[in-house]
Amino acid sequence: MTPLILFYVAGFVTLASAILAITRTNASHALIYLVVALLAIAVIFFLLGSPFAAALQIVVYAGAIVVLFLFVVMMLNLGKSSVARERELLTRGIWTLPSLLALVLFAVVLFALVSGDHEAGAQARMIEPKEVGIALYTKYVLAVELAGVLLLAALVGAYHLGRRYLADRREEEESS
Amino acid sequence: MFGIEDFWSYALILPVAVGVLLGALVLVWWERRLLGWWQDRLGPNRVGWFGSLQALADLIKLLTKDDWLPPFGDRVFFILAPIIVTAAMLLAFVVVPFTPVLVIVESNIALLWFLAMSAMAVYGVLLGGLSSNNKYALLGGLRAAAQMVTYEVFLALSILGVVMLSGSFSLVDIVENQRDGLWHFIPQALGLVIFVIAGLAETHRLPFDLPEAEHELTAGFHTEYSGMKFGLIMAAEYVALILLSCLIVILFFGGWLGPSFLPPVVWFGIKVVIVINFFILLRAAIPRPRYDQLMSLGWKILLPLTLVNILATGAWVLGTQG
Amino acid sequence: MALPQEAAQEPPGIVSDLITRFGESTRLQTTVDDYPTVWVDRENIQDVLRFLKHDADTPYELLYDLSAIDERLRKHRDGQPASEFTVFYHLMSLSGDHDLRVKVALQDDDLHLKSVESIYPVANWYEREAFDMFGVQFDEHPNLRRILTPPLWEGHPLRKEHPARATEMEPYQYSEEFQDAQQEALKFVPEEWGMSRDAKHTDFMFLNLGPNHPSVHGVFRIALQLDGEVIVQAVPDIGYHHRGQEKMAERQSWHTYIPYTDRIDYLGGVMNNLPYVMNVERMAGITVPDRAQVIRVMLSECFRIASHLLFYGTFAQDVGQMSPVFYMFADRERLFSIIEAITGGRMHPSWFRIGGVTQDLPDGWYEMVTDFCDYMPKRLDHYEKMSLQNKILQRRTKGIGAYNTAEGLDWGITGPSLRATGSDWDLRKNRPYSSYDQFEFDIPTASNGDSYDRCVVRVEEIRQSLRIIRQCAENMPSGPYKADHRSTTPPPKERTMEHIETLIHHFLNVSWGPVVPPCESETLVEATKGWMGFYSISDGGGMAYRSRVRTPSFPALQQIPFISNGFMVADLIAIIASIDFVMADVDR
Repeated sequence: MTPLILFYVAGFVTLASAILAITRTNASHALIYLVVALLAIAVIFFLLGSPFAAALQIVVYAGAIVVLFLFVVMMLNLGKSSVARERELLTRGIWTLPSLLALVLFAVVLFALVSGDHEAGAQARMIEPKEVGIALYTKYVLAVELAGVLLLAALVGAYHLGRRYLADRREEEESS
Repeated sequence: MFGIEDFWSYALILPVAVGVLLGALVLVWWERRLLGWWQDRLGPNRVGWFGSLQALADLIKLLTKDDWLPPFGDRVFFILAPIIVTAAMLLAFVVVPFTPVLVIVESNIALLWFLAMSAMAVYGVLLGGLSSNNKYALLGGLRAAAQMVTYEVFLALSILGVVMLSGSFSLVDIVENQRDGLWHFIPQALGLVIFVIAGLAETHRLPFDLPEAEHELTAGFHTEYSGMKFGLIMAAEYVALILLSCLIVILFFGGWLGPSFLPPVVWFGIKVVIVINFFILLRAAIPRPRYDQLMSLGWKILLPLTLVNILATGAWVLGTQG
Repeated sequence: MALPQEAAQEPPGIVSDLITRFGESTRLQTTVDDYPTVWVDRENIQDVLRFLKHDADTPYELLYDLSAIDERLRKHRDGQPASEFTVFYHLMSLSGDHDLRVKVALQDDDLHLKSVESIYPVANWYEREAFDMFGVQFDEHPNLRRILTPPLWEGHPLRKEHPARATEMEPYQYSEEFQDAQQEALKFVPEEWGMSRDAKHTDFMFLNLGPNHPSVHGVFRIALQLDGEVIVQAVPDIGYHHRGQEKMAERQSWHTYIPYTDRIDYLGGVMNNLPYVMNVERMAGITVPDRAQVIRVMLSECFRIASHLLFYGTFAQDVGQMSPVFYMFADRERLFSIIEAITGGRMHPSWFRIGGVTQDLPDGWYEMVTDFCDYMPKRLDHYEKMSLQNKILQRRTKGIGAYNTAEGLDWGITGPSLRATGSDWDLRKNRPYSSYDQFEFDIPTASNGDSYDRCVVRVEEIRQSLRIIRQCAENMPSGPYKADHRSTTPPPKERTMEHIETLIHHFLNVSWGPVVPPCESETLVEATKGWMGFYSISDGGGMAYRSRVRTPSFPALQQIPFISNGFMVADLIAIIASIDFVMADVDR
């Protein structure tokens, strides 16, 4: 019974902080709500029996990716003007359509939950890190390889962009 | 995980937390005495026996100081930041086994939990730098973010060799794995060196204290902090040092293992104190590299080395254990 | 040995060259320091200096000093052109080993002169200083603004009508409006320095480093234009430590000014007394006995070691090495105990006197000094292993903030920082003073001129200083420690009680101080941080009419932007640490 209550609490926190993350006009505040949402999701993973996924969720998403987002926000030095601009962006015309689409998606999930067969999801079972590893490198090995290729492409792309930036800078310095 | 049989171990939470914080307090004094001894000067020697109450006096001073909030900063984050660092570091102690029984939660993801908590500690530093609305703090925060995210990678990769040898993320299993064979610091010497370097960067202590680098950024991310909020940041730094030393002892030096004339917890304590002294020695001896030098050390030297370590360990494990 | 400093040889023909090129109005003046001093028309000043720097037979690479003299109250100006304000340029040719002083006469109602900043970059700050102190307008100067006094200061302090003492002024008021106005005036505005706030890819951050910052060694402020952590442009701001040393020289007697000199480079101690007393001795025609000269050398070298040790420790500390500074302070403490035993003082003994030194050496000095000479080399080997050979320290400092000899001279750099670029110019060797020609020692040099080399040269200088000190101890001449001359100060006490004449003589010499005949003279020494010089003008009184103090740290700070642009903030700290400056030496 306890895990169920914890699950609902975590679920509520996830949703609430996700909504707050979208509606905050201050970028760094929004990101912190995003972190909270990610942490809450990690709790859900944990409750569903995959501590490994929970830990990775914290290490990778909360611990590295959002940190880099925050890093960028700090670099951009967003002040009051950007908060005001964000506020202008959040007019009704802009958020109505995405919200409607999200509502449709929500209805589908609700329908699936009410009518469909969700026995599989309810069978919470401890999944050892070892199992995850074995699954990744046998059953899903192609996906792992594909992800690797994708990351390599991203790396090359980032390198290219960085180099172009440096070249531009050098030109600028020479001309000045 | 939530079985009733574990319940008694939750009683350990309070003693461990208090013990670790007290340890941090003693460590502040001990480090200053040791540095004083090595540097031909006295160190704190007035308050109490050999100045041993100096840290307590400092604590009282910090507690009674005016609790000042910078009016130009982000108040919520400013208060939150020191809480996050301290909490994250204390939470990491949940999985640290001092002996096979003296552990709050014995988990099969203990190592990952440690990594997750040290990842969370980044937020404290980052938010402290961001919310101070101070250029030195901002530069410190930026350095901290880049440095800690980078070195988290090597921190994680450097212990994979140990994990492979033990076949588990559980810290108790890792120590037990060293009972019959060699302690891991011999087969995993490379992993140990990288773990120490990455751990130093992660705890941002002197050779790698770039986020606060006094000579460049006055006090870096905590420039605006004073009173007990500064005290918390300071405490977190020392808690992190104790945590790192515990982890090194567990992962590489056989944790509580040792000849049976002393109880396991004493062996653990002795080893941890030796490792802590080693870190203080590093602080006294080594100058600080530049920010970009630290980064290129990580990506250009440590990353290939960790990968080689993982490859070699993997091959060895495969060869010996089939 | 006639004079403490051998006069520089007059370059054959340079003066007649100038006269043929720049007309009959070019006039020669004689000074007791035997530097050729020529007066030129103000219209020609740029051409004259350009000729001297580029086309003279032995080019004058170094604009050593530039300042002005308020001549309006001066009585003895025999043979000099009419002038109310004289701007003087002290040029040096290291290749030819000679000096030239160029003077320009100006009238108070038209204080305009062309800037020579485009010929000698170092002139930039010196012209700002002359403007600040005298109100001389340098046309074509890129940014002629006050440098030593606050931006809102009223008047020009070194003009004779400006009060020298607070008692000559209205009581000091400090209102809130005054504070706000001052603070507003100190605000750094990038546009005033020709900086833009953003570029194509980036917004710049402006960081105000100092005046209170752990590694600016005093009250020094430097405003940085940063792209990330990379320095795009830097603007040093000085003057927070300005005490008006030159103004004070005009109101203290020749003797009572000695303690003020100690405070100029406060790490140099008696090293600061040396050029001052040697200069006054030359003007008064005093010959200093051998024993006093060797004692002066020994004490000066002790202070060189003390200063370099502090440099060494803080250098390591500024790149993040925590411990060396403690060891070096302990060694410095040993040195100070010797200095205290000899002089009674520690950092500011003010121990040299006009004509000699205060007292003879105490009993037991020999053992103390030689013990230290035995003890120190081993420590230096230890520090070398700990700091200079440390790979991280090398990576932090090698190739950082480098310049070559020509660039160094353009910026007025002298002393160890210049020798780090490969030049072996050392006044102790090239123009031996105070019996330095009697000692055996080497001039350490390095070749890269970067932060690391500046440290290496200084460390080696410590060893050479130890050599000199040992030779002083072994070969200390006997004889009097003070010259037998009527102008030496204070006059010998034991001669006062003879009869009324000696008593009156003593009384006058103590209360009024010696009178120096009207003349001009400049004396340089190889001080701890570079060349330090006093250029004094006596109008035949008991005080200096004008005393110019030229210190090595001032131009070194001006150079910072040009060796730190493109480096990171951490490198700037390494550069600042390697310059070895003292703010009191900069601001005076």
